[in-house]
Amino acid sequence: MKYLYLSVFALFFAISCSGETEQQEQVIDGEGVQIEGAWARPASEGRMSAAYFLITNFEESDDALIGVESDVAQLVEVHESYEREEGMMGMREVPEVALPAQSTVRFEQGGLHIMLIQVTRTLADGDTFELTLNFSNSESQTIEVPVRL
Amino acid sequence: MKSFFHKLLGFTALTLLLSACSSPALDDYSDVSYELTDQNGETVIFPDDYQGSPLVIGFIYTNCPDICSFITANVSKVYEEMSNPGDTKFVLVTFDPERDTPEVLKSYAQAFDMDREPFQFLTGDPETIDDFMKRVSVRTQESYSRELDDGDRMYFLNHSDKILLINENSELIFDYGGSMTPVNIIIEDLNKLL
Repeated sequence: MKYLYLSVFALFFAISCSGETEQQEQVIDGEGVQIEGAWARPASEGRMSAAYFLITNFEESDDALIGVESDVAQLVEVHESYEREEGMMGMREVPEVALPAQSTVRFEQGGLHIMLIQVTRTLADGDTFELTLNFSNSESQTIEVPVRL
Repeated sequence: MKSFFHKLLGFTALTLLLSACSSPALDDYSDVSYELTDQNGETVIFPDDYQGSPLVIGFIYTNCPDICSFITANVSKVYEEMSNPGDTKFVLVTFDPERDTPEVLKSYAQAFDMDREPFQFLTGDPETIDDFMKRVSVRTQESYSRELDDGDRMYFLNHSDKILLINENSELIFDYGGSMTPVNIIIEDLNKLL
């Protein structure tokens, strides 16, 4: 019977630890600040979209994302969705996103995202638009963001 | 003490086993009737118009680009990834009827390639939607707002994150976190109703 308890404990322990492991990105090599895996949700003209990507800071010093720009929306901001209480979701603006040295920050559904408020044209599956990211230390970067379902 | 713990463990295991094997109704909507409007301007009565078919139903507002688009995409994926969805209906209902008119919902549905059968996007008059949301335990509250260049005020909502699975008798079978539940779990549960 004690093996059963041990197995149950091990299972719960494994489940409780799995979330943390995914958040710890192992940066091996590269240079500067790199953005990959960008994509955005479809939206009809005048409505909202959100963009997602991974930002990796390969440098030995900290950096920060301090602004985003695009002509595809009236307002472009960094937002974060979060669970206010059980089953209740909220969203808040994040003025600056820290990019610690040698780390990856994940912009993903249900978390950090680029908020495109009132898009100036319909964004359909397969479209692309440009998004400029401004950093506190690194040079600004303009990336191409594909729209997909 | 040891014996008590054994019994407790056995009871817990039995409860988990039973809950995994059966799907008792969490609620019954057959006693309500809400007159709603779909994205084509057609009147829809919930739940009467869906009786006889399983229903996957999510709750959204179209000015929410992250969580609600996630819920919308999940409802779409459940249909797309099912090998045989039968006559299941896939519905999204707005809790922001002042802004989400049928025209707005149609445009939103088109952006998600969901302006087609078996999908439906529903709105209604604010009072009806308010009653409906209370009945299905979807809560909303205004969070913050922005002034836009054209002078319009853009407001956002905190809201429940929910997809429901309702059976052919208008009984609530499962209540999921709409953006967080893996689609394969909803498919597995829906297959049990077909």
